[in-house]
Amino acid sequence: MSDLVFLASICAAAAGAGVLGAILGLGGGILLVPILTLFFGVSLPYAMGASIISVIASSCGAAAGHLRSGLANIRLGLFLALDTVAGAIIGASLAGILSERLLELLFGLALSYSAFTTMRQLQLEVPALETADRLALRFALSGVYYDRVLQREVEYRAARVRGGASVMFAAGLLSGLLGIGSGAFKVLAMDYVMRLPMKVSTATSNFMIGITAAASAGVYFGRGDIHPVIATPVAVGVLAGSYAGTRLIASLRNTTVRKLFLPVVLYLALSMLLRGFGIWR
Amino acid sequence: MRAEALVARLLFLGGMISVTLMLTGLVTLEIHAAAGGHAVEIPRVVENREAGRSADVFVSLPQLARALRRWPPDPIAIITAGVVMLLLTPTLGLAAAFVAFVRDGDRAYAVISAVLMVALLFGFAFRLGG
Repeated sequence: MSDLVFLASICAAAAGAGVLGAILGLGGGILLVPILTLFFGVSLPYAMGASIISVIASSCGAAAGHLRSGLANIRLGLFLALDTVAGAIIGASLAGILSERLLELLFGLALSYSAFTTMRQLQLEVPALETADRLALRFALSGVYYDRVLQREVEYRAARVRGGASVMFAAGLLSGLLGIGSGAFKVLAMDYVMRLPMKVSTATSNFMIGITAAASAGVYFGRGDIHPVIATPVAVGVLAGSYAGTRLIASLRNTTVRKLFLPVVLYLALSMLLRGFGIWR
Repeated sequence: MRAEALVARLLFLGGMISVTLMLTGLVTLEIHAAAGGHAVEIPRVVENREAGRSADVFVSLPQLARALRRWPPDPIAIITAGVVMLLLTPTLGLAAAFVAFVRDGDRAYAVISAVLMVALLFGFAFRLGG
């Protein structure tokens, strides 16, 4: 494979990851790392470094579009990012003290339950507006967006804010301890715990993942894991793909986004359980 | 301008400047290689990380700044400048949010933005300072 074809192929794969990432609120690492290692022969440290680039590029491209369209809620994103970043800092300092396998097992079980609840509410387009949560009122965790599919404005307000913030903290803890992305946990916390519309959850997650990834990006850069020649096609592809993804999500139903999200939760639940039982690393 | 619009504009601009720098560096690298200069052998680069850090990678900001001051600048340094710009873009987004919330008199979110921004900047400076 010539250099140009190699770089163009990585760029195309990254664009695909960017489109899906923008719709599902993920950074694309879950797709990009296996593609880079299995199909392009990139070593794992460079693939992980490319994954951080992918998360931040995806967040820049998608969050810019989502913030403009009103799908991403900046106050909600900042409020919850505080919990995730605090969790990540504490998690990184607890590495080696807490049992990683026990945590993986616990998260695997929690994700399995989340997959079950996601399946149960697959047909739920927009959750009913719940009674006001004290923290949601205090921190203005509510909003409204125009849904092109439903052809009406959708009003939403965060419920069970303490529960959502706790899941965010736990997701950050896991990120800091295990060095994995936590976009899926963020979406689940907003969609299932805080009862927000699915598209608002994925769009706000897109804004948040850039902040969480930037908190650990220095580690990857300092270790020399971000190779410039691999980072370039990844950044270009993901940025273009995520921007396109923000256009696409406007024409999708919340139920469609949830159906696309379900396989990701199932995959994560299975991989966490297998890691927890020591079957797969 | 509302916080959402300001942050959206900054994230988009940051992303665009980053990829422009990266692509400029990559094209310059190819031109150098075609003219018989230093070439990055991609198959060697992608496979060899396990054996140790590649010589083509910058790992600190002072090291990068020194390479950018040389003339002509090292193409890999130009790409890396784009990478650093991308890594800093979320922090710039938080700075824009801070400015917008201060202007709107939203003290709670101005504080939240500032705390997150300081946490990210501290982590970055601590790890990449040299």
